[in-house]
Amino acid sequence: MHPTAKQLIGPKARKVAAGAAALAGSAWIGGAVAQTEAAAAAAPALVRPGLVPVSSLSGADTAWMMTATALVLLMTLPGVALFYAGMVRRKNVLNTLACVVAIAALVSLLWFAGTYSWAFTPGSAWWGGQARVGFGGLDFDLAGGLVAVSHIAPHIPESVYAMFQLTFAIITAALVVGAFVERMRFAAMLVFIGLWSALVYTPIAHWVWEPGGWLAKMGVLDFAGGSVVHVNAGMAGLACAWYLGPRRGYGREAFEPYNLGFTMAGAALLWVGWFGFNAGSAVAADGRAGLAMATTHIAAAAGALSWMLAEALLRGRASLLGLCSGLVGGLVAITPAAGFVTPLSALVIGLVAGLACYWGATGIKRLLRVDDSLDVFGVHGIGGIVGSLLTGLLADPRIGGVSGSVVTQALGVGAVMAFSLAGTALLLWLVDAALGLRVAERDELAGLDLALHRERIGG
Amino acid sequence: MRHSERLAIAAHLHVLLRRKTGRVTDTEWMAADRAYALEIVRFTRERAQSDGLPELNEWADKLEAATYQAAAAPAPRRPLAQALAPQPPDPPPVPDRYVGGIR
Repeated sequence: MHPTAKQLIGPKARKVAAGAAALAGSAWIGGAVAQTEAAAAAAPALVRPGLVPVSSLSGADTAWMMTATALVLLMTLPGVALFYAGMVRRKNVLNTLACVVAIAALVSLLWFAGTYSWAFTPGSAWWGGQARVGFGGLDFDLAGGLVAVSHIAPHIPESVYAMFQLTFAIITAALVVGAFVERMRFAAMLVFIGLWSALVYTPIAHWVWEPGGWLAKMGVLDFAGGSVVHVNAGMAGLACAWYLGPRRGYGREAFEPYNLGFTMAGAALLWVGWFGFNAGSAVAADGRAGLAMATTHIAAAAGALSWMLAEALLRGRASLLGLCSGLVGGLVAITPAAGFVTPLSALVIGLVAGLACYWGATGIKRLLRVDDSLDVFGVHGIGGIVGSLLTGLLADPRIGGVSGSVVTQALGVGAVMAFSLAGTALLLWLVDAALGLRVAERDELAGLDLALHRERIGG
Repeated sequence: MRHSERLAIAAHLHVLLRRKTGRVTDTEWMAADRAYALEIVRFTRERAQSDGLPELNEWADKLEAATYQAAAAPAPRRPLAQALAPQPPDPPPVPDRYVGGIR
């Protein structure tokens, strides 16, 4: 690795120092070894998105990243959709699904309208630039043989990189739904999520993953989004659950899940799709991506079994929901670590996460006294925190080129937690004042499927 | 009480509520869904008291009786061969694990 191309937090935020000469055959150019010395000499290192010859792209990396993008989108549509819809009561299943679909569409358009630019182009340490605002800049010039690339991943088209990152923005927003299901007005939800994606998710992504971001420069390790996605969604979910208040009948009535078969199907899509989430965050089809895929899988399996064991010991039996929750907890925890740790460390992370997330969804939930409907904080928040801290402890410099620091990780996680909680609460207050967030009591009792959509699940 | 009879009561109450209170209801859902029907009963009685419309109470009573009767309705007649065949055990009641959280 070229000594000036310092890999601070993994391939997603490679710091390409100005003037770092991509001249030697072994130099990193934003994460991909130069194909030839000639090509390397002809390609100056980028510090912002720009046009490069099509010949400088890596076909293998591009193909893998397009595949990874599809996998991560599948995690939301229909992964998270099914995972959540199976857990709500029958009268709210369609609304839950509708929320996820609508959020995917909304966040997608906002992304190309501006949030991609503000997250992933250079600006300040706190906010990105305007270079890609207004659906602009993802250029492909057939006659000229030029294609736009991001400085963060100059070996793949920027269109692919932007799409890949978009799927992360989508799933983060979709995860928050789990905290406020069964009681938020649909239009107000869309306005809130749109603002949240732009004003909470976007800056956090910039801080952690754009090389000029302040957390990136501080050396926070987050391979695929432990803090950007999961801690962020967990804290936002907590804020939503607290602000909206509990559902009618919470703590007195049994809120029976509609169909845990849906939940299992969703969890399976999450498990498989997470290969795109973590291995795709290597932004290359290489050995590190392969390792990230293996660590991801090991952590998922370990998380499933450790949650199952906890449940069996404390309640006397295993459950399908427990298995599904544990595997997701393991996946969440390995997310910041996948490209930094060994398979054995991944086992440790998964086992710890399964137990921690079980406690998060039970004991901690009771302590917080908040109706986080589907335990977004308990699983994603706690899992993300645990995984981020363990990354500091277990990161192997032979794998990622950097050592971890628990203190640095704690500072990074703390900053994300504080900003997400405060930012989300402020947006909730604003949208509530303008539009009203909570559905009327009669609508909540009748069920949001009928009340908000005039639709009813069949059968 | 047959479904058609419950539907007739629901339809009558639908028209009454529409005329007297402006509230629009789902007649079919009222006849089919217990929770919705009971909520309409509650609403009807509330408006009967607040707006001074005693005729609403009569039809609220009828809908409530019809709803509870539907819940307690005897099982339809089964052929003898089916009734004598070994029966699968009843599913256990919904556990209280879903009170205060689903996990």
